[in-house]
Amino acid sequence: MKSRALTPWLLVSPATLLFLGLVILPLILTVILSFHVYDHTTGIQDSFTVEHYVRVVTDDYYLAIFWRTLRLAFLTTLICAVIGAPEAYVLSRMGDPWRSIFLLVIIGPLLVSVVVRAFGWSMLLGSTGLVNQSLRALGFDSVRLLYTETAIVIALVHVMLPFMVIPVWTALQKLDPAVEAAALTLGASRFTALRRIVLPQVSLGMLSGSLIVFGLSASAFAIPGLLGGRRLKMAATVVYDEYMSELNWPLGAAIAIIVLVANLAIMLGYNRLVETRARRALG
Amino acid sequence: MGFLTLQSLSKVFGDFTAVRDVDLSVAQGEFVSLLGPSGCGKTTTLQMIAGLVEPTKGTITLDGRDITREKPSRRGLGIVFQSYALFPHMTVAENVAFGLEMRKVARPERDRRVSEMLGLVHLASFAERYPRQLSGGQRQRVAIARALVIQPPVLLLDEPLSNLDAKLREEMQFELRRIQRSVGTTTIMVTHDQAEALSISDRVVVMEQGRMTQIDAPYRLYERPATAFISSFVGKMNRIEAVWRGGRAEAAGLGLPSEAASLPDGASIGVAVRPEKILLGAAGQGLFDGTVTSRFFLGSYWLFNVETPVGNVVVSLPNQGAEPVAEGALVSLGWPPESASIVAAAAGAAA
Repeated sequence: MKSRALTPWLLVSPATLLFLGLVILPLILTVILSFHVYDHTTGIQDSFTVEHYVRVVTDDYYLAIFWRTLRLAFLTTLICAVIGAPEAYVLSRMGDPWRSIFLLVIIGPLLVSVVVRAFGWSMLLGSTGLVNQSLRALGFDSVRLLYTETAIVIALVHVMLPFMVIPVWTALQKLDPAVEAAALTLGASRFTALRRIVLPQVSLGMLSGSLIVFGLSASAFAIPGLLGGRRLKMAATVVYDEYMSELNWPLGAAIAIIVLVANLAIMLGYNRLVETRARRALG
Repeated sequence: MGFLTLQSLSKVFGDFTAVRDVDLSVAQGEFVSLLGPSGCGKTTTLQMIAGLVEPTKGTITLDGRDITREKPSRRGLGIVFQSYALFPHMTVAENVAFGLEMRKVARPERDRRVSEMLGLVHLASFAERYPRQLSGGQRQRVAIARALVIQPPVLLLDEPLSNLDAKLREEMQFELRRIQRSVGTTTIMVTHDQAEALSISDRVVVMEQGRMTQIDAPYRLYERPATAFISSFVGKMNRIEAVWRGGRAEAAGLGLPSEAASLPDGASIGVAVRPEKILLGAAGQGLFDGTVTSRFFLGSYWLFNVETPVGNVVVSLPNQGAEPVAEGALVSLGWPPESASIVAAAAGAAA
């Protein structure tokens, strides 16, 4: 009797220990670190302060970085949804050999390191890259793309797209094709059938896709680091700078905690808003 | 010229001909069933009428208008899908209202027609539920209401009862017929269940391998099946292999009464008799004797397998209350000539 009551705890213990050791413990240490006093000459002190937090939320430099992070993550999510949802729909309508091939094409980039892909984009978007060469060949002025927000968003969309396509595609798989046919026979145009019948039913897939894309974009490091250059910073790159160049670990920790809390608040709020609405109708 | 006509309609998928030169004329208000085993092309035929599958050849006309290449959204036909295909994110009322909304019917008129239709299918109190909160039979009725509310010239039903359990299926058969009668819509139903087709249709179309092999009223189909396939597919049928000799059928040296036929002497034939048309009697009182090898009680009737000189014969007897002859008993079998029809010999039976 007693051993039976223990079984569930034993079964979850490896995952729990892993979670505690690798997520919760470092997180607690980071929180503690963020309250330590830092001195440029003597380093981290044993006394505590909220100075770092106050500095981050009052300094325009950091606020601009936070604002940019949110803006670019939101933009990436939006573009991924606009491109990814139709892409998933087309994919779900494909015949058998093509569907497998294109699914591989979509997932394929995940097999290549983000760093490699970021360098690939910097070669394409650079001042002598393929894009600018083509523009010049067509008689246009060359444009500055590399080290701009545009470059970051382009590369982020490229990296994040599979995370939007796959959940939407999964949701579409569950859809009875006769439901769309029913809408057509009731007098709906193809577009109306998509908007009124298909879209609401894949909204949960788009929701989970958006959450993954937003979360990963807001904490992206390699892409903004390599395509944003030294001046155009996002949250993750500024944390890196505080730790590695400024050596101000407490400040870096404070920024990291703020990013985490903000990300969590936005994602939970969004999840709640959309999910309660979708759940009510879809069950 | 019928209300809905199909003329030499064919559909070829790659090198597979699903439907081959189908001709059918349906009168206004008629209830026609397409009956056949799976893969006979009945659903493809229905989908071509609905506009969901484009015919390879042939024409479809509705009320004199050629609709062969028209978009499904413009045909205005009511369709009940096998899976019902209800919109899961809409309430029952929203589901039913969808077709009217697409037709830009004004709100008050729309509400009135929706509640009228829900009343007809006995779902008035379920208007605000979602499909997942309904039972199979209720979903089925929502699907019917949604198809009928747009007042379609033709209602198409694709295996509408196949997802229901046996008892509910029987109830819904009569329900379907009642609804169809009260609105008077021309209806075409696809089914593989012969009992369903026979019980509620005005006419039944039997399809075999993409062709229509018989179009007849249900009782005529049952009594006069045109092919050996139909006789075995629709109801139960005994086939006795026989030879035509001296103006009558003979099997195992016994003369078998049957309907008249003009066949050459010595022709191999089959004598087809329905189990319920055979009369069981005391030994020596009928055409020939046999031994009851097994007996099954099926509620309203008994079914016997009788071993006879002409082979195994299935006989059914209505349940009159008393227990009938036991297994192992010697009985006689007989039937009046008009109950037995002459059919072609089974392939390979003569050899």
